[in-house]
Amino acid sequence: MIRILTLLLWFACVGGVLARDMPLSEVLIEGAGWQVVSEGHGFTDGLCSDADGNVYFSDVRSGQVIYKVDLDGKVSEFVKKAAGISGLQWGADGKLYACLARGRMVVRFDQGGKMEILAKEVRPNDLVVTYDGNVYFTQTPEQEIVRIDPKGKMTVVSKGVIVKPNGITLSPDQGTLAVSDYGGKYVWVFRIEKEGTLSYPQNYMTMRTANGKPEVAKGDGMATDAEGRYYVTSAVGLQMYDPTGRMGGVIVKPQDAGLVSVVFGGADLAYLYVACGDTIYRRKTKSKGVLFFEKPEKEREK
Amino acid sequence: MIQKLLWRGALLMFVLLTCSVRADDNAYRPGPDAMPKQGVPKGVVTKYQWKSAIFPSTVRDYWVYVPAQYDGKTPAALMVFQDGGGFVREKGAFRAPTVFDNLIAAGEMPVTIGLFINPGVVPPAKEGQQGRKNRSYEYDTLSDQYAKFLLEEMIPELEKKYKITKNPDGRGICGNSSGGICAFTVAWERPEAFRKVVSHVGSFTNIRGGHVYPALIRKTDKKPLRVFLQDGKNDVDNLHGNWPLANQQMAKALEFAKYDYKFVFGEGVHSGRHGGAIFPDTMRWIWRDWKGIEL
Repeated sequence: MIRILTLLLWFACVGGVLARDMPLSEVLIEGAGWQVVSEGHGFTDGLCSDADGNVYFSDVRSGQVIYKVDLDGKVSEFVKKAAGISGLQWGADGKLYACLARGRMVVRFDQGGKMEILAKEVRPNDLVVTYDGNVYFTQTPEQEIVRIDPKGKMTVVSKGVIVKPNGITLSPDQGTLAVSDYGGKYVWVFRIEKEGTLSYPQNYMTMRTANGKPEVAKGDGMATDAEGRYYVTSAVGLQMYDPTGRMGGVIVKPQDAGLVSVVFGGADLAYLYVACGDTIYRRKTKSKGVLFFEKPEKEREK
Repeated sequence: MIQKLLWRGALLMFVLLTCSVRADDNAYRPGPDAMPKQGVPKGVVTKYQWKSAIFPSTVRDYWVYVPAQYDGKTPAALMVFQDGGGFVREKGAFRAPTVFDNLIAAGEMPVTIGLFINPGVVPPAKEGQQGRKNRSYEYDTLSDQYAKFLLEEMIPELEKKYKITKNPDGRGICGNSSGGICAFTVAWERPEAFRKVVSHVGSFTNIRGGHVYPALIRKTDKKPLRVFLQDGKNDVDNLHGNWPLANQQMAKALEFAKYDYKFVFGEGVHSGRHGGAIFPDTMRWIWRDWKGIEL
Protein backbone atom coordinates (compact mmCIF):
# COMPACT_ATOMS: atom_id res chain seq x y z
CA MET A 1 0.00 0.00 0.00
CA ILE A 2 2.75 2.40 1.01
CA ARG A 3 4.54 1.49 -2.16
CA ILE A 4 1.47 2.37 -4.21
CA LEU A 5 1.08 5.66 -2.34
CA THR A 6 4.73 6.48 -2.90
CA LEU A 7 4.30 5.75 -6.58
CA LEU A 8 1.16 7.88 -6.78
CA LEU A 9 2.92 10.70 -4.96
CA TRP A 10 5.85 10.40 -7.30
CA PHE A 11 3.67 10.66 -10.40
CA ALA A 12 1.68 13.50 -8.86
CA CYS A 13 4.83 15.47 -8.05
CA VAL A 14 6.77 14.90 -11.20
CA GLY A 15 3.87 14.76 -13.58
CA GLY A 16 5.64 12.19 -15.68
CA VAL A 17 8.52 14.51 -16.53
CA LEU A 18 11.09 12.04 -15.29
CA ALA A 19 11.47 8.39 -16.13
CA ARG A 20 10.95 6.12 -13.14
CA ASP A 21 13.97 5.78 -10.91
CA MET A 22 15.39 2.29 -10.74
CA PRO A 23 17.84 1.91 -7.88
CA LEU A 24 19.51 -1.41 -7.11
CA SER A 25 17.05 -1.83 -4.24
CA GLU A 26 14.30 -2.46 -6.83
CA VAL A 27 16.16 -5.59 -7.89
CA LEU A 28 18.38 -6.85 -5.09
CA ILE A 29 17.08 -8.52 -1.96
CA GLU A 30 18.85 -7.58 1.23
CA GLY A 31 20.69 -10.57 2.61
CA ALA A 32 20.36 -12.59 -0.60
CA GLY A 33 23.97 -12.64 -1.80
CA TRP A 34 25.82 -14.68 -4.40
CA GLN A 35 25.71 -18.45 -4.00
CA VAL A 36 27.89 -20.99 -5.77
CA VAL A 37 26.04 -22.99 -8.43
CA SER A 38 28.92 -24.83 -10.08
CA GLU A 39 32.66 -24.58 -9.41
CA GLY A 40 36.00 -26.03 -10.42
CA HIS A 41 35.79 -25.10 -14.08
CA GLY A 42 38.42 -23.33 -16.19
CA PHE A 43 36.74 -20.14 -17.43
CA THR A 44 32.95 -20.16 -17.39
CA ASP A 45 30.87 -18.30 -20.02
CA GLY A 46 27.85 -18.54 -22.32
CA LEU A 47 24.97 -18.40 -19.82
CA CYS A 48 21.41 -18.76 -21.15
CA SER A 49 18.02 -19.98 -19.91
CA ASP A 50 15.13 -22.03 -21.22
CA ALA A 51 11.41 -21.52 -20.64
CA ASP A 52 11.42 -23.58 -17.43
CA GLY A 53 14.32 -21.64 -15.93
CA ASN A 54 16.99 -24.29 -16.51
CA VAL A 55 20.31 -22.57 -17.08
CA TYR A 56 23.03 -23.55 -19.56
CA PHE A 57 26.70 -22.58 -19.61
CA SER A 58 30.04 -23.47 -21.08
CA ASP A 59 33.66 -23.59 -20.01
CA VAL A 60 35.35 -21.70 -22.80
CA ARG A 61 38.88 -22.63 -21.72
CA SER A 62 38.83 -26.27 -20.68
CA GLY A 63 35.28 -27.53 -21.14
CA GLN A 64 34.26 -30.08 -23.73
CA VAL A 65 30.50 -29.93 -23.11
CA ILE A 66 27.51 -27.62 -22.59
CA TYR A 67 26.38 -27.85 -18.98
CA LYS A 68 22.79 -27.67 -17.77
CA VAL A 69 21.73 -26.53 -14.29
CA ASP A 70 18.22 -27.67 -13.44
CA LEU A 71 15.83 -26.04 -10.98
CA ASP A 72 17.15 -28.22 -8.16
CA GLY A 73 20.68 -26.95 -8.84
CA LYS A 74 21.84 -30.27 -10.29
CA VAL A 75 24.53 -29.80 -12.96
CA SER A 76 24.59 -32.21 -15.88
CA GLU A 77 26.15 -32.44 -19.33
CA PHE A 78 23.55 -31.34 -21.86
CA VAL A 79 25.56 -31.48 -25.09
CA LYS A 80 28.76 -33.49 -25.28
CA LYS A 81 31.54 -32.65 -27.75
CA ALA A 82 30.99 -28.92 -27.70
CA ALA A 83 34.29 -27.26 -26.84
CA GLY A 84 35.33 -23.61 -26.65
CA ILE A 85 31.87 -22.06 -26.53
CA SER A 86 31.60 -18.35 -25.68
CA GLY A 87 27.90 -17.67 -26.26
CA LEU A 88 24.64 -19.62 -26.01
CA GLN A 89 20.99 -18.78 -26.61
CA TRP A 90 17.79 -20.75 -27.23
CA GLY A 91 15.89 -19.92 -30.43
CA ALA A 92 12.13 -19.97 -31.05
CA ASP A 93 12.76 -23.12 -33.13
CA GLY A 94 13.64 -25.01 -29.93
CA LYS A 95 17.31 -25.21 -30.89
CA LEU A 96 20.29 -24.09 -28.86
CA TYR A 97 22.42 -21.56 -30.78
CA ALA A 98 26.10 -21.37 -29.93
CA CYS A 99 29.26 -19.40 -30.69
CA LEU A 100 32.10 -21.86 -31.18
CA ALA A 101 34.90 -19.41 -30.49
CA ARG A 102 37.62 -21.99 -30.86
CA GLY A 103 35.98 -23.80 -33.79
CA ARG A 104 35.28 -20.43 -35.45
CA MET A 105 31.66 -21.33 -36.17
CA VAL A 106 28.11 -20.36 -35.29
CA VAL A 107 26.06 -23.52 -34.85
CA ARG A 108 22.79 -24.77 -33.41
CA PHE A 109 22.05 -27.97 -31.54
CA ASP A 110 18.73 -29.77 -31.60
CA GLN A 111 17.27 -31.37 -28.48
CA GLY A 112 19.21 -34.53 -29.18
CA GLY A 113 22.50 -32.63 -29.34
CA LYS A 114 22.87 -32.92 -33.13
CA MET A 115 24.87 -29.97 -34.43
CA GLU A 116 24.08 -27.90 -37.51
CA ILE A 117 26.56 -25.32 -38.82
CA LEU A 118 25.16 -21.85 -39.56
CA ALA A 119 28.40 -19.97 -40.27
CA LYS A 120 31.99 -21.11 -40.78
CA GLU A 121 35.29 -19.25 -40.59
CA VAL A 122 33.89 -16.56 -38.35
CA ARG A 123 35.11 -15.41 -34.96
CA PRO A 124 31.94 -15.21 -32.87
CA ASN A 125 32.10 -13.97 -29.30
CA ASP A 126 28.50 -13.73 -28.12
CA LEU A 127 25.08 -13.93 -29.73
CA VAL A 128 21.38 -13.26 -29.37
CA VAL A 129 18.51 -14.87 -31.29
CA THR A 130 15.30 -12.91 -31.89
CA TYR A 131 11.78 -14.29 -31.88
CA ASP A 132 11.75 -13.89 -35.70
CA GLY A 133 14.81 -16.09 -35.99
CA ASN A 134 17.48 -13.51 -36.68
CA VAL A 135 20.84 -14.31 -35.10
CA TYR A 136 23.08 -11.36 -34.20
CA PHE A 137 26.61 -12.16 -33.08
CA THR A 138 29.64 -10.05 -32.21
CA GLN A 139 33.02 -10.46 -33.91
CA THR A 140 35.14 -8.63 -31.42
CA PRO A 141 38.51 -8.19 -33.21
CA GLU A 142 36.77 -7.27 -36.49
CA GLN A 143 34.65 -4.62 -34.71
CA GLU A 144 31.58 -6.19 -36.25
CA ILE A 145 28.04 -7.19 -35.48
CA VAL A 146 26.97 -9.91 -37.90
CA ARG A 147 23.47 -11.07 -38.66
CA ILE A 148 22.36 -14.47 -39.87
CA ASP A 149 18.82 -14.13 -41.19
CA PRO A 150 16.19 -16.89 -40.88
CA LYS A 151 17.17 -18.20 -44.34
CA GLY A 152 20.79 -18.52 -43.25
CA LYS A 153 22.19 -15.55 -45.15
CA MET A 154 25.00 -13.80 -43.29
CA THR A 155 25.65 -10.04 -43.46
CA VAL A 156 27.73 -7.57 -41.48
CA VAL A 157 25.23 -5.13 -39.94
CA SER A 158 27.64 -2.89 -38.01
CA LYS A 159 31.35 -2.34 -38.48
CA GLY A 160 33.80 0.02 -36.83
CA VAL A 161 31.26 1.61 -34.50
CA ILE A 162 32.31 -0.20 -31.33
CA VAL A 163 35.97 -0.68 -30.36
CA LYS A 164 35.52 -4.28 -29.16
CA PRO A 165 31.87 -5.35 -29.51
CA ASN A 166 31.25 -8.13 -27.03
CA GLY A 167 28.04 -8.77 -25.05
CA ILE A 168 24.72 -8.55 -26.88
CA THR A 169 21.07 -8.38 -25.81
CA LEU A 170 17.65 -7.03 -26.81
CA SER A 171 15.01 -4.76 -25.30
CA PRO A 172 11.94 -6.69 -24.13
CA ASP A 173 10.03 -5.58 -27.27
CA GLN A 174 13.01 -6.68 -29.41
CA GLY A 175 13.09 -3.31 -31.19
CA THR A 176 16.45 -2.30 -29.74
CA LEU A 177 19.73 -4.21 -29.83
CA ALA A 178 22.26 -3.37 -27.12
CA VAL A 179 25.96 -4.26 -27.47
CA SER A 180 28.68 -3.75 -24.88
CA ASP A 181 32.21 -2.54 -25.60
CA TYR A 182 35.10 -4.50 -24.10
CA GLY A 183 37.56 -1.88 -25.36
CA GLY A 184 35.63 1.28 -24.49
CA LYS A 185 33.25 2.58 -21.87
CA TYR A 186 29.86 2.54 -23.56
CA VAL A 187 27.01 0.18 -24.18
CA TRP A 188 25.71 1.00 -27.65
CA VAL A 189 22.12 0.65 -28.80
CA PHE A 190 20.78 0.20 -32.34
CA ARG A 191 17.31 0.22 -33.81
CA ILE A 192 16.45 -3.10 -35.43
CA GLU A 193 14.70 -2.29 -38.70
CA LYS A 194 11.79 -4.30 -40.05
CA GLU A 195 14.10 -6.10 -42.45
CA GLY A 196 16.56 -6.93 -39.63
CA THR A 197 19.29 -4.41 -40.41
CA LEU A 198 20.65 -2.14 -37.66
CA SER A 199 20.45 1.63 -37.63
CA TYR A 200 21.08 4.71 -35.46
CA PRO A 201 23.85 3.49 -33.17
CA GLN A 202 24.13 5.54 -30.00
CA ASN A 203 26.48 5.35 -27.00
CA TYR A 204 23.43 5.19 -24.77
CA MET A 205 24.88 3.87 -21.50
CA THR A 206 28.15 5.07 -19.98
CA MET A 207 29.75 2.30 -17.96
CA ARG A 208 31.66 2.78 -14.75
CA THR A 209 35.36 2.07 -15.21
CA ALA A 210 37.98 0.90 -12.74
CA ASN A 211 39.94 3.63 -10.97
CA GLY A 212 42.97 4.52 -13.05
CA LYS A 213 41.47 3.07 -16.24
CA PRO A 214 38.99 5.77 -17.27
CA GLU A 215 38.50 4.77 -20.90
CA VAL A 216 38.06 0.99 -20.77
CA ALA A 217 35.19 -0.64 -18.87
CA LYS A 218 35.69 -4.18 -20.26
CA GLY A 219 31.99 -4.49 -21.02
CA ASP A 220 31.17 -8.15 -21.61
CA GLY A 221 28.08 -10.38 -21.43
CA MET A 222 24.64 -8.75 -21.23
CA ALA A 223 21.10 -9.53 -20.08
CA THR A 224 17.71 -7.79 -19.97
CA ASP A 225 14.94 -8.04 -17.39
CA ALA A 226 11.18 -7.82 -17.82
CA GLU A 227 11.18 -4.11 -16.82
CA GLY A 228 13.62 -3.35 -19.64
CA ARG A 229 16.64 -2.88 -17.41
CA TYR A 230 19.95 -3.78 -19.00
CA TYR A 231 22.72 -5.67 -17.20
CA VAL A 232 26.31 -5.73 -18.37
CA THR A 233 29.30 -7.51 -16.88
CA SER A 234 32.44 -5.40 -16.60
CA ALA A 235 35.77 -4.96 -14.83
CA VAL A 236 34.14 -3.33 -11.79
CA GLY A 237 31.14 -5.68 -11.53
CA LEU A 238 27.67 -6.22 -12.90
CA GLN A 239 26.32 -2.84 -14.04
CA MET A 240 22.59 -2.16 -14.23
CA TYR A 241 20.88 0.49 -16.38
CA ASP A 242 17.30 1.67 -16.69
CA PRO A 243 15.58 1.55 -20.11
CA THR A 244 16.54 5.19 -20.79
CA GLY A 245 20.24 4.43 -20.32
CA ARG A 246 20.70 5.83 -16.81
CA MET A 247 22.83 3.75 -14.47
CA GLY A 248 20.95 2.15 -11.60
CA GLY A 249 24.05 0.80 -9.91
CA VAL A 250 26.88 -1.70 -9.87
CA ILE A 251 26.50 -5.13 -8.26
CA VAL A 252 29.80 -6.39 -6.87
CA LYS A 253 31.47 -9.46 -8.32
CA PRO A 254 31.17 -12.68 -6.34
CA GLN A 255 34.95 -13.20 -6.53
CA ASP A 256 38.01 -11.44 -7.91
CA ALA A 257 37.95 -13.02 -11.37
CA GLY A 258 36.72 -12.22 -14.88
CA LEU A 259 32.97 -11.55 -14.85
CA VAL A 260 31.91 -12.27 -18.43
CA SER A 261 28.35 -13.60 -18.68
CA VAL A 262 24.96 -12.96 -17.06
CA VAL A 263 21.41 -14.29 -17.42
CA PHE A 264 18.16 -14.46 -15.48
CA GLY A 265 17.21 -18.05 -14.77
CA GLY A 266 15.97 -20.48 -12.15
CA ALA A 267 12.41 -20.63 -10.80
CA ASP A 268 10.28 -17.80 -12.31
CA LEU A 269 13.48 -16.54 -13.97
CA ALA A 270 14.00 -14.58 -10.75
CA TYR A 271 17.68 -15.36 -10.19
CA LEU A 272 20.65 -13.54 -11.66
CA TYR A 273 23.26 -16.09 -12.77
CA VAL A 274 26.80 -14.95 -13.54
CA ALA A 275 29.91 -16.62 -14.90
CA CYS A 276 32.86 -15.35 -12.87
CA GLY A 277 36.15 -17.09 -13.55
CA ASP A 278 36.01 -20.78 -12.62
CA THR A 279 32.60 -20.58 -10.95
CA ILE A 280 28.92 -20.03 -11.78
CA TYR A 281 27.05 -18.06 -9.09
CA ARG A 282 23.48 -16.95 -8.65
CA ARG A 283 21.48 -14.63 -6.39
CA LYS A 284 17.75 -14.16 -5.97
CA THR A 285 16.21 -10.88 -7.15
CA LYS A 286 12.89 -9.04 -7.06
CA SER A 287 12.96 -8.91 -10.86
CA LYS A 288 12.71 -11.53 -13.57
CA GLY A 289 14.18 -12.13 -16.98
CA VAL A 290 12.76 -12.11 -20.49
CA LEU A 291 13.09 -14.93 -22.97
CA PHE A 292 13.73 -13.72 -26.49
CA PHE A 293 12.36 -16.93 -28.05
CA GLU A 294 8.95 -15.98 -26.68
CA LYS A 295 6.74 -13.58 -28.60
CA PRO A 296 7.42 -10.06 -27.30
CA GLU A 297 4.47 -8.40 -25.61
CA LYS A 298 3.19 -5.32 -27.36
CA GLU A 299 3.69 -2.06 -25.60
CA ARG A 300 0.92 -1.50 -23.09
CA GLU A 301 -1.34 1.40 -23.99
CA LYS A 302 -0.28 4.40 -21.95
CA MET B 1 -3.81 -6.45 16.50
CA ILE B 2 -1.30 -3.96 17.88
CA GLN B 3 0.79 -4.55 14.82
CA LYS B 4 -2.20 -3.75 12.64
CA LEU B 5 -2.87 -0.54 14.54
CA LEU B 6 0.77 0.49 14.29
CA TRP B 7 0.64 -0.21 10.60
CA ARG B 8 -2.45 1.94 10.19
CA GLY B 9 -0.85 4.68 12.27
CA ALA B 10 2.23 4.61 10.10
CA LEU B 11 0.07 4.77 7.01
CA LEU B 12 -1.86 7.74 8.35
CA MET B 13 1.36 9.53 9.26
CA PHE B 14 2.66 8.89 5.79
CA VAL B 15 -0.48 10.21 4.13
CA LEU B 16 -0.47 13.32 6.33
CA LEU B 17 3.21 13.87 5.69
CA THR B 18 2.88 13.53 1.94
CA CYS B 19 -0.21 15.73 1.90
CA SER B 20 1.65 18.45 3.76
CA VAL B 21 4.47 18.20 1.26
CA ARG B 22 1.99 18.55 -1.54
CA ALA B 23 0.36 21.48 0.24
CA ASP B 24 3.72 23.25 0.38
CA ASP B 25 4.08 22.82 -3.32
CA ASN B 26 0.46 23.76 -3.97
CA ALA B 27 1.09 27.15 -2.40
CA TYR B 28 3.05 28.01 -5.54
CA ARG B 29 0.69 29.23 -8.23
CA PRO B 30 1.03 31.29 -11.38
CA GLY B 31 0.60 35.00 -10.56
CA PRO B 32 -0.98 37.92 -12.42
CA ASP B 33 1.97 38.23 -14.82
CA ALA B 34 1.14 34.75 -16.09
CA MET B 35 -2.45 35.78 -16.95
CA PRO B 36 -3.44 37.55 -20.17
CA LYS B 37 -3.80 41.27 -19.53
CA GLN B 38 -6.15 43.59 -21.31
CA GLY B 39 -4.46 45.76 -23.90
CA VAL B 40 -1.33 43.61 -24.03
CA PRO B 41 -0.70 42.28 -27.55
CA LYS B 42 -0.41 38.51 -27.78
CA GLY B 43 2.46 36.81 -29.51
CA VAL B 44 1.96 33.83 -31.78
CA VAL B 45 2.94 30.25 -30.88
CA THR B 46 3.43 27.78 -33.73
CA LYS B 47 4.08 24.06 -33.39
CA TYR B 48 6.58 22.24 -35.60
CA GLN B 49 8.30 18.86 -35.77
CA TRP B 50 12.02 18.26 -36.19
CA LYS B 51 14.02 15.25 -37.35
CA SER B 52 17.60 15.56 -36.13
CA ALA B 53 20.88 14.49 -37.70
CA ILE B 54 22.99 15.30 -34.63
CA PHE B 55 20.84 12.96 -32.55
CA PRO B 56 20.36 10.62 -35.51
CA SER B 57 16.79 9.80 -36.46
CA THR B 58 15.25 11.36 -33.36
CA VAL B 59 11.98 13.17 -33.88
CA ARG B 60 10.51 15.78 -31.59
CA ASP B 61 7.93 18.52 -31.39
CA TYR B 62 8.96 22.12 -30.93
CA TRP B 63 7.14 25.42 -30.64
CA VAL B 64 8.19 28.91 -31.64
CA TYR B 65 6.83 31.96 -29.85
CA VAL B 66 7.05 35.22 -31.78
CA PRO B 67 6.04 38.33 -29.85
CA ALA B 68 3.67 40.83 -31.43
CA GLN B 69 6.42 43.47 -31.17
CA TYR B 70 8.82 41.55 -33.43
CA ASP B 71 9.14 43.66 -36.58
CA GLY B 72 11.04 41.28 -38.86
CA LYS B 73 13.98 43.69 -39.17
CA THR B 74 15.43 44.14 -35.69
CA PRO B 75 17.16 41.04 -34.29
CA ALA B 76 15.23 39.54 -31.40
CA ALA B 77 16.63 38.15 -28.18
CA LEU B 78 16.29 34.37 -27.76
CA MET B 79 15.17 32.07 -24.95
CA VAL B 80 15.43 28.30 -25.46
CA PHE B 81 13.46 25.88 -23.28
CA GLN B 82 14.04 22.16 -22.70
CA ASP B 83 10.88 20.03 -22.34
CA GLY B 84 9.36 22.92 -24.27
CA GLY B 85 5.85 21.51 -24.39
CA GLY B 86 5.39 22.11 -20.67
CA PHE B 87 6.54 25.73 -20.85
CA VAL B 88 4.15 26.74 -23.65
CA ARG B 89 1.08 25.12 -22.09
CA GLU B 90 -1.58 27.76 -21.59
CA LYS B 91 -2.67 26.37 -18.22
CA GLY B 92 0.73 25.03 -17.17
CA ALA B 93 2.98 26.09 -14.29
CA PHE B 94 4.99 28.53 -16.45
CA ARG B 95 2.79 29.91 -19.27
CA ALA B 96 5.92 31.39 -20.80
CA PRO B 97 4.23 32.95 -23.87
CA THR B 98 1.82 34.93 -21.68
CA VAL B 99 4.62 35.97 -19.31
CA PHE B 100 6.66 37.09 -22.33
CA ASP B 101 3.67 39.04 -23.72
CA ASN B 102 3.29 40.90 -20.44
CA LEU B 103 6.97 41.58 -19.71
CA ILE B 104 7.82 42.60 -23.26
CA ALA B 105 4.87 45.03 -23.31
CA ALA B 106 6.02 46.44 -19.97
CA GLY B 107 9.58 46.89 -21.24
CA GLU B 108 10.93 44.50 -18.63
CA MET B 109 12.54 42.16 -21.12
CA PRO B 110 13.60 42.55 -24.75
CA VAL B 111 11.57 41.48 -27.76
CA THR B 112 12.35 37.79 -27.37
CA ILE B 113 11.65 34.81 -29.57
CA GLY B 114 10.96 31.65 -27.58
CA LEU B 115 12.16 28.26 -28.84
CA PHE B 116 10.46 25.47 -26.88
CA ILE B 117 11.89 22.06 -27.73
CA ASN B 118 10.83 18.63 -26.52
CA PRO B 119 13.39 15.85 -26.06
CA GLY B 120 13.85 13.42 -28.94
CA VAL B 121 12.55 9.92 -29.46
CA VAL B 122 13.87 7.36 -31.92
CA PRO B 123 10.55 6.03 -33.18
CA PRO B 124 10.08 2.26 -33.21
CA ALA B 125 10.59 0.38 -36.45
CA LYS B 126 7.56 -1.84 -35.82
CA GLU B 127 4.14 -1.13 -34.43
CA GLY B 128 3.78 -2.01 -30.76
CA GLN B 129 7.42 -1.35 -29.93
CA GLN B 130 8.53 1.40 -27.58
CA GLY B 131 11.17 3.31 -29.47
CA ARG B 132 14.16 4.87 -27.79
CA LYS B 133 13.67 7.71 -25.34
CA ASN B 134 16.50 10.16 -25.74
CA ARG B 135 15.75 12.70 -23.00
CA SER B 136 18.35 11.57 -20.48
CA TYR B 137 21.01 11.11 -23.15
CA GLU B 138 20.39 14.59 -24.58
CA TYR B 139 19.97 16.49 -21.29
CA ASP B 140 22.12 14.71 -18.69
CA THR B 141 25.28 14.12 -20.74
CA LEU B 142 28.16 16.45 -19.90
CA SER B 143 29.35 17.44 -23.36
CA ASP B 144 28.71 20.01 -26.07
CA GLN B 145 26.32 17.69 -27.93
CA TYR B 146 23.13 19.55 -27.00
CA ALA B 147 24.79 22.93 -27.67
CA LYS B 148 25.76 21.64 -31.11
CA PHE B 149 22.20 20.46 -31.71
CA LEU B 150 20.93 23.97 -30.93
CA LEU B 151 23.64 25.90 -32.76
CA GLU B 152 23.92 23.70 -35.84
CA GLU B 153 20.32 22.55 -36.28
CA MET B 154 17.59 24.32 -34.35
CA ILE B 155 18.78 27.93 -34.39
CA PRO B 156 19.78 27.90 -38.08
CA GLU B 157 16.29 26.54 -38.81
CA LEU B 158 14.78 29.37 -36.74
CA GLU B 159 17.00 31.92 -38.49
CA LYS B 160 15.49 30.96 -41.86
CA LYS B 161 12.40 32.83 -40.73
CA TYR B 162 13.50 35.19 -37.99
CA LYS B 163 16.36 37.52 -37.15
CA ILE B 164 17.98 36.35 -33.91
CA THR B 165 20.68 38.26 -32.09
CA LYS B 166 24.23 36.92 -32.30
CA ASN B 167 25.07 38.58 -29.01
CA PRO B 168 25.36 35.80 -26.38
CA ASP B 169 24.20 38.24 -23.68
CA GLY B 170 20.92 38.36 -25.58
CA ARG B 171 20.48 34.57 -25.58
CA GLY B 172 19.20 32.55 -22.66
CA ILE B 173 18.37 28.92 -21.98
CA CYS B 174 15.99 27.46 -19.42
CA GLY B 175 14.87 24.06 -18.17
CA ASN B 176 13.57 21.99 -15.30
CA SER B 177 15.24 18.97 -13.71
CA SER B 178 17.47 17.33 -16.38
CA GLY B 179 16.47 20.22 -18.63
CA GLY B 180 17.96 22.52 -15.99
CA ILE B 181 21.38 20.90 -15.95
CA CYS B 182 21.16 20.85 -19.75
CA ALA B 183 20.68 24.64 -19.76
CA PHE B 184 23.81 25.04 -17.64
CA THR B 185 25.79 22.59 -19.78
CA VAL B 186 24.93 24.46 -23.00
CA ALA B 187 26.16 27.80 -21.59
CA TRP B 188 29.15 26.19 -19.84
CA GLU B 189 30.26 24.57 -23.10
CA ARG B 190 29.42 27.49 -25.40
CA PRO B 191 29.52 30.80 -23.48
CA GLU B 192 30.14 32.56 -26.79
CA ALA B 193 26.61 31.51 -27.79
CA PHE B 194 24.55 31.50 -24.56
CA ARG B 195 25.17 33.46 -21.38
CA LYS B 196 21.89 33.38 -19.51
CA VAL B 197 20.94 30.21 -17.64
CA VAL B 198 17.71 29.44 -15.80
CA SER B 199 17.46 26.11 -13.94
CA HIS B 200 14.50 24.92 -11.90
CA VAL B 201 14.94 21.81 -9.72
CA GLY B 202 18.11 21.22 -11.76
CA SER B 203 19.57 17.71 -11.80
CA PHE B 204 23.12 18.57 -10.76
CA THR B 205 23.37 14.98 -9.59
CA ASN B 206 24.95 11.79 -10.84
CA ILE B 207 22.44 10.77 -13.50
CA ARG B 208 25.25 10.89 -16.03
CA GLY B 209 28.02 12.55 -14.07
CA GLY B 210 26.48 16.03 -13.53
CA HIS B 211 27.36 16.07 -9.83
CA VAL B 212 30.85 17.33 -10.70
CA TYR B 213 29.79 20.83 -11.74
CA PRO B 214 30.31 22.54 -8.35
CA ALA B 215 33.88 21.23 -8.33
CA LEU B 216 34.45 22.29 -11.95
CA ILE B 217 33.04 25.78 -11.34
CA ARG B 218 35.36 26.35 -8.37
CA LYS B 219 38.47 25.31 -10.26
CA THR B 220 37.76 26.87 -13.67
CA ASP B 221 38.47 30.40 -14.79
CA LYS B 222 35.17 32.26 -14.41
CA LYS B 223 32.93 32.15 -17.47
CA PRO B 224 30.82 35.18 -18.42
CA LEU B 225 27.49 33.58 -17.43
CA ARG B 226 24.47 34.81 -15.51
CA VAL B 227 22.85 31.91 -13.68
CA PHE B 228 19.48 31.60 -11.98
CA LEU B 229 18.86 28.49 -9.87
CA GLN B 230 15.67 27.45 -8.09
CA ASP B 231 15.17 24.41 -5.90
CA GLY B 232 13.04 23.31 -2.94
CA LYS B 233 14.01 21.69 0.31
CA ASN B 234 11.54 18.86 -0.41
CA ASP B 235 13.11 18.01 -3.75
CA VAL B 236 14.13 14.38 -4.30
CA ASP B 237 16.85 12.32 -2.68
CA ASN B 238 17.44 9.21 -4.76
CA LEU B 239 20.05 6.96 -6.33
CA HIS B 240 21.37 9.79 -8.48
CA GLY B 241 21.85 12.20 -5.58
CA ASN B 242 20.18 14.73 -3.32
CA TRP B 243 18.68 17.62 -5.32
CA PRO B 244 18.48 20.21 -2.51
CA LEU B 245 22.10 19.60 -1.50
CA ALA B 246 23.30 19.54 -5.10
CA ASN B 247 21.64 22.87 -5.87
CA GLN B 248 23.07 24.42 -2.71
CA GLN B 249 26.50 23.17 -3.77
CA MET B 250 25.97 24.78 -7.18
CA ALA B 251 24.96 28.08 -5.59
CA LYS B 252 27.95 28.09 -3.23
CA ALA B 253 30.33 27.23 -6.06
CA LEU B 254 28.93 30.06 -8.21
CA GLU B 255 29.32 32.41 -5.26
CA PHE B 256 32.88 31.24 -4.59
CA ALA B 257 33.86 31.79 -8.22
CA LYS B 258 32.14 35.22 -8.15
CA TYR B 259 29.49 34.51 -10.75
CA ASP B 260 26.50 36.76 -11.41
CA TYR B 261 23.98 34.31 -9.94
CA LYS B 262 20.78 34.09 -7.93
CA PHE B 263 19.55 31.09 -5.94
CA VAL B 264 15.95 30.78 -4.78
CA PHE B 265 15.50 27.93 -2.31
CA GLY B 266 11.90 27.21 -1.35
CA GLU B 267 9.66 24.56 0.10
CA GLY B 268 8.80 22.76 -3.11
CA VAL B 269 9.18 19.21 -4.33
CA HIS B 270 10.49 17.98 -7.68
CA SER B 271 8.08 19.99 -9.78
CA GLY B 272 7.90 23.17 -11.80
CA ARG B 273 5.36 24.84 -9.51
CA HIS B 274 7.73 27.08 -7.55
CA GLY B 275 9.82 27.89 -10.61
CA GLY B 276 6.59 28.68 -12.46
CA ALA B 277 5.20 30.89 -9.71
CA ILE B 278 8.31 33.10 -9.72
CA PHE B 279 9.01 32.83 -13.44
CA PRO B 280 8.09 36.46 -14.27
CA ASP B 281 10.49 37.73 -11.58
CA THR B 282 13.14 35.32 -12.81
CA MET B 283 12.81 36.78 -16.30
CA ARG B 284 13.00 40.31 -14.85
CA TRP B 285 16.20 39.39 -13.00
CA ILE B 286 17.87 37.59 -15.88
CA TRP B 287 17.00 40.44 -18.32
CA ARG B 288 17.38 43.30 -15.83
CA ASP B 289 19.95 45.21 -17.89
CA TRP B 290 18.64 44.26 -21.32
CA LYS B 291 18.43 47.84 -22.51
CA GLY B 292 22.21 47.99 -22.38
CA ILE B 293 22.63 44.89 -24.55
CA GLU B 294 23.09 45.50 -28.25
CA LEU B 295 20.91 42.92 -29.97
